Amino acid sequence: MIAIPYLTALTTYFSYGLLFAFGQFRDFFRKIFDWCSANNLQGYAPICLGLEDFYIRRLYLRIQDCFGRPIASAPDAWFDVVERHSNDNNKTLKRTDKISRCLNLGSYNYLGFAAADEYCTPRVVDTLKKYSPSTCSTRVDGGTTVLHLELEECVANFVGKPAAIVFGMGYVTNSAILPVLMGKGSLIISDSLNHNSIVNGARGSGATIRVFQHNEPSHLEEVLREQIAEGQPRTHRPWKKIMVVVEGIYSMEGELCKLPEVIAVCKKYKAYTYLDEAHSIGAVGKSGRGVCELLGVDTADVDIMMGTFTKSFGSCGGYIAGSKDLIQHLKYACPAHLYATSISPPAAQQIISSIRVILGEDGSNRGAQKLAQIRENSNFFRSELQKMGFEVLGDNDSPVMPIMLYNPAKIPAFSRECLKQNVAVVTVAFPATPLLLARARICISAAHSREDLIKALQVISRVGDLVGIKYFPAEPTKQQQGGKSVKFD
Amino acid sequence: MANLYVKAVPPADLNRNTEWFTYPGVWTTYILILFFSWILVLSVFGCSPGIAWTIVNLAHFAVTYHFFHWKKGTPFAEDQGIYNRLTWWEQVDNGKQLTRNRKFLTVVPLVLYLIASHTTDYQNPMFLFNTVAVIVLVVAKFPHMHKVRIFGINADK
Repeated sequence: MIAIPYLTALTTYFSYGLLFAFGQFRDFFRKIFDWCSANNLQGYAPICLGLEDFYIRRLYLRIQDCFGRPIASAPDAWFDVVERHSNDNNKTLKRTDKISRCLNLGSYNYLGFAAADEYCTPRVVDTLKKYSPSTCSTRVDGGTTVLHLELEECVANFVGKPAAIVFGMGYVTNSAILPVLMGKGSLIISDSLNHNSIVNGARGSGATIRVFQHNEPSHLEEVLREQIAEGQPRTHRPWKKIMVVVEGIYSMEGELCKLPEVIAVCKKYKAYTYLDEAHSIGAVGKSGRGVCELLGVDTADVDIMMGTFTKSFGSCGGYIAGSKDLIQHLKYACPAHLYATSISPPAAQQIISSIRVILGEDGSNRGAQKLAQIRENSNFFRSELQKMGFEVLGDNDSPVMPIMLYNPAKIPAFSRECLKQNVAVVTVAFPATPLLLARARICISAAHSREDLIKALQVISRVGDLVGIKYFPAEPTKQQQGGKSVKFD
Repeated sequence: MANLYVKAVPPADLNRNTEWFTYPGVWTTYILILFFSWILVLSVFGCSPGIAWTIVNLAHFAVTYHFFHWKKGTPFAEDQGIYNRLTWWEQVDNGKQLTRNRKFLTVVPLVLYLIASHTTDYQNPMFLFNTVAVIVLVVAKFPHMHKVRIFGINADK
């Protein structure tokens, strides 16, 4: 539920309509010129329709300097952004030797493990010497080391499930698992804002896919009742199995899943639950165990738990945790386990070490400090942004903070102005988000200090005034008793 | 100017090509674009309001027929071609018929037709052009015409 000024909605549609019209106009004349000139297809059909890359050719290239910026250091709280320039209106971008030291508000570095860590990095270096950078093999050939077994046990204990299986790539964890679990005659009910890896995995499974409104357990119940009553398409036989797929934190919204309500609905109608904790594992919860811990849900009530190591743990890959029978079946049947290279041993060691830091098994309380820091940082930053009048999506305790921009012209304006003042932000627009809801997505890290956040707030406030994205009235500044008042406006 | 806020709820529609039509403000923008087009035609051609409405109606017919009922597929490769046989009109609202958006899009050409015909005093040849345009557009939007290709026209790809 996002509140938009009506005039902003109208101007956003008009802007996109204008961009679309100009793009179609240019495509029309491009077709005429191509038809007049020599055609070298000689009877072959084109490999892909020109329609399919319309967005990239006519919209994305205009502002591609705001996306995919190369960096020249580890993505810690501050990092080096490489400057680029273009001689042909952003059609091609060339790197320069110059770098900008920027405050990093774009990385998923929730717990600060992306840079060197005093506990993790020496162990990773030792593992690198002992095991080599890669196993160059699948898990069932020669790609299993003691680290892989230790990692699976560590992950299963961490999330609170009997067993777990680990993959070398986070995206594949969803896109390769769903086809193994679901097939023809099954039903997948997916949240409308689930990640593309879930969407593609569901499509690849051959199961029937239905979508419920984002984070609406009542609509989920409605869809479940309707589909169970109707049965399979055309034959109306009962479904073989039903699975509801939800995410712990939605990466484009920063919203926490309404997991207790979803679990209640699934148990009522005997549907399985699949919880994607790609962003939430390690980042929320008292000891970093994700939304189950934060929302008070027993992990035994969630049938399949998925997560990635690419965010809070500073590594790569993903895991599936569930019952022993489920994990054993995946080890027999999952192509990501049978055919893909296993996770790199140093990457596995990084995950093991970061989990130990989070749980306090490294002999210090740095893990608890990191978790408290990210929670405090997130809630502080979110409340200050809302006080200034920005429309900020997401829930409290969520480290993902989308700031709404809406108009397409404000996407590059916000991104470029922040970069000028050494604040690196990630902007997201259609088709990654709905057409109307372009945004800048801020990701808070435990590595950010209070001074970093205050500087970021000052820059965002200034740029927000300049670009015109403070859609709500600002809250009056209160003079705090005894303490010095920090003014951002 | 007082700020009027509207609520945007993400719909349960994964098709990026049609999802935008379910958000608030689309109908108003659509009507405003038609109105400003009329103003633009009046300014550029300097003709009578009736002729301007006829030009807007015929342009609206050409544009919406091409983009809603002729052009198939989506401009996104991530859809992997699952919509390549469907026009935009067949994709909207997941193919469900008689939704509010479909009714709105059916009423607009009718209202345009009434305005254009009335302001030209129902005189030929404008009346003939307007009538042909509205018949084609409204028939194409009937629920019975869902995925129908008359004589196989536009049936390939």
